[in-house]
Amino acid sequence: MNPVDFYNETLTSVPTEHGFYPYESNGGTALAIAGEDFCVVASDTRQSNGYLINARYAPKAFKMSEKAVLANSVFAADGNALVRRLTQRIQWYKHSHEKEISITALAQLVSNTLYYKRFFPFYTQVLLGGIDESGAGVVYSFDPVGSYGLEVCRANGTASALIQPFLDNQVEFKNVQFDDKPRMTLDRAICIAKDAFTSATERDIYTGDHLEIFIIKQDGITIESYPLKKD
Amino acid sequence: MDAFVNRFKGSSTFLADEISMLDGFGSYDAVKEFSQPVFEIPAVQNANCTDEKSDSECRIKIEHGTTTLAFKFQGGIIVAVDSRASAGNYIASQTVKKVIEINPYLLGTMAGGAADCQFWQRELGRHCRLYELRNKERISVAAASKLLANMVYPYKRMGISMGTMVTGWDKTGPNLFYVDSDGSRYKNDVFSVGSGATFAYGVLDSGLDYELSTNDAIELGRRSIYQATYRDAASGGSVRIYHVEKEGWKFIGLYDVGKLHWEYCGL
Amino acid sequence: MFLTRSEYDRGVNTFSPEGRLFQVEYAIEAIKLGSTAVGIQTSEGVVLAVEKRVTSPLLVSSSIEKIMEIDTHLGCAMSGLTADSRTMIDHARVEAQNHHFTYNEKIKVESVTQAVCDLALRFGESAHGEESIMSRPFGVALLIAGVDEKGPQLYHADPSGTFMQYDAKAIGSGSEGAQTELQEEYDKSISLVNAETLSLKVLKQVMEEKLNNTNVQLASITPEHGFRIYSEEELQVVIDRL
Repeated sequence: MNPVDFYNETLTSVPTEHGFYPYESNGGTALAIAGEDFCVVASDTRQSNGYLINARYAPKAFKMSEKAVLANSVFAADGNALVRRLTQRIQWYKHSHEKEISITALAQLVSNTLYYKRFFPFYTQVLLGGIDESGAGVVYSFDPVGSYGLEVCRANGTASALIQPFLDNQVEFKNVQFDDKPRMTLDRAICIAKDAFTSATERDIYTGDHLEIFIIKQDGITIESYPLKKD
Repeated sequence: MDAFVNRFKGSSTFLADEISMLDGFGSYDAVKEFSQPVFEIPAVQNANCTDEKSDSECRIKIEHGTTTLAFKFQGGIIVAVDSRASAGNYIASQTVKKVIEINPYLLGTMAGGAADCQFWQRELGRHCRLYELRNKERISVAAASKLLANMVYPYKRMGISMGTMVTGWDKTGPNLFYVDSDGSRYKNDVFSVGSGATFAYGVLDSGLDYELSTNDAIELGRRSIYQATYRDAASGGSVRIYHVEKEGWKFIGLYDVGKLHWEYCGL
Repeated sequence: MFLTRSEYDRGVNTFSPEGRLFQVEYAIEAIKLGSTAVGIQTSEGVVLAVEKRVTSPLLVSSSIEKIMEIDTHLGCAMSGLTADSRTMIDHARVEAQNHHFTYNEKIKVESVTQAVCDLALRFGESAHGEESIMSRPFGVALLIAGVDEKGPQLYHADPSGTFMQYDAKAIGSGSEGAQTELQEEYDKSISLVNAETLSLKVLKQVMEEKLNNTNVQLASITPEHGFRIYSEEELQVVIDRL
């Protein structure tokens, strides 16, 4: 049999199943902690697919304005599409209202943007951290279709179940029986973020490579980078 | 619905909601903003990847699970809810606000999809405000609840999940309606909605009396939600209570279930 | 009669050789037939005052409505073909609510003015993608007042879709005299109470009838109370100060 016939024969004789799987999980973790006058948003940079590591530096957190940072987790393609769409909307807002968008306005915009894709959702969990109009640190967390709320601290992504209990204990002191609970300082928040990620890297195959910490303060945003284990 | 699907059919170069952003002058309608998959994907269109009932292997976990209740008494209406959100077996949050302040005199409660309730009650708030500006009087609770029911009805069987109580005080006095995403809308003196509703009803029905004092009514609401959080794993966190009065709603308080437990043990 | 204007005023979409759109200019003329409306901005808030033409003793004066609420922090006074303003006010209200829906914040005064002016040029044949809503230009001018993060502001929008910010502005039949009077009397440091008095004083001078608490309408927009139309009793208090 000539090769072309063989090719056609095998292709047409095998029953093919059609399916469309628009989503995948790329793993990774993000957390955010709000302080009195600052906010910390941290995320690892590993991107995986199953047991394969696609990229060791694929950032999940993005600066959306001078006062807000958005971190995605789960499906990187949808997360990036969302960020691009929001970036455009923020620019439109700036042009039509001649001011930078506040984080409260941005949070509502993110929620609506997610909900408008209610029937074909962005497969992403969003964290939005920053400084509000009064100068206070705030964290908003969103589910894939846009339900959102204000939080003090939050971990999202594959290691969320590992990190959130740690944050509940160390940041919010939930169910802790003592009165002189220390004030959340920037240094402490950064320490907690680093500890959370080094620990999560030990137990979650999808978290690792690099840690990026965005520090949002009234006078601007700085980014710190730390190595995580690469195994 | 067909018209709105047809509008975007065949165009994969534009994102549907970006098109409508440009022609939104004056005739804004949240309905127009929705983007549908622009190609035919049975797997996506049937289950939206979010509906847990039709696809047990659904990958997108959205927040679910609740106990909410509201009842009429001589002093108005008491609204009490828990604050837990679970996505699958993970507790996504213990601090959800399941009472939605539609405006200073209308309250909605949240059961089912958190985003569905938040979004549509926000849209309801927008409609109610426009009604008020155009007619120079507040919308009645009956009309507001019907607006909500009619808004979500076109999406029936598309995966939206919303079980809500709309309450408020209008010309006719205190009013309480139940509206859900299947299209039901009932008026009654007492409702409880969510996975823990049966447990809440047990306490609520045994203690309900129209002549209850405001403090006793608040306590009944709190106790009912507490008992529901005790037996229903998908409910928990804190009890949040509102009182609907003639002048509008009033926030009564937020009570941590952990502390309530010891209180009710008599400790 | 209008020799120089030749035939170029017949269509709404044809420029004259001198580069004029006569129908738009005529629309601006239409406002000069309307009742006088005055707006004064102060550091404490903005005052809007309009004259109501009560043409018959049988007319229920409270049914004449020339100041309207756009949102809690925004109000609007009008002059000209007030029926045309219904479309514009409703559009402004929808825009204000949409902004709140999308951004969970109050819309800026300038943004809502811009939104109204976007409507002004949607007459004639429809452009691509946009539905035209009127066969002719709007015959109404608006004084849009409000309070936002930039403080109290007053804008004037006319049928050409142009809008400008003013410290004090008069529109309508008595606008020329009223504007001169405002220019003489206005001071940047004017208080809200004095602005109330000044607005009625200016109206009184240009009105044919004797000013009383049923043939004028007064409203204020302040950071504390938002938009508020004065009752007849409150109006009488201001009139007594004249």
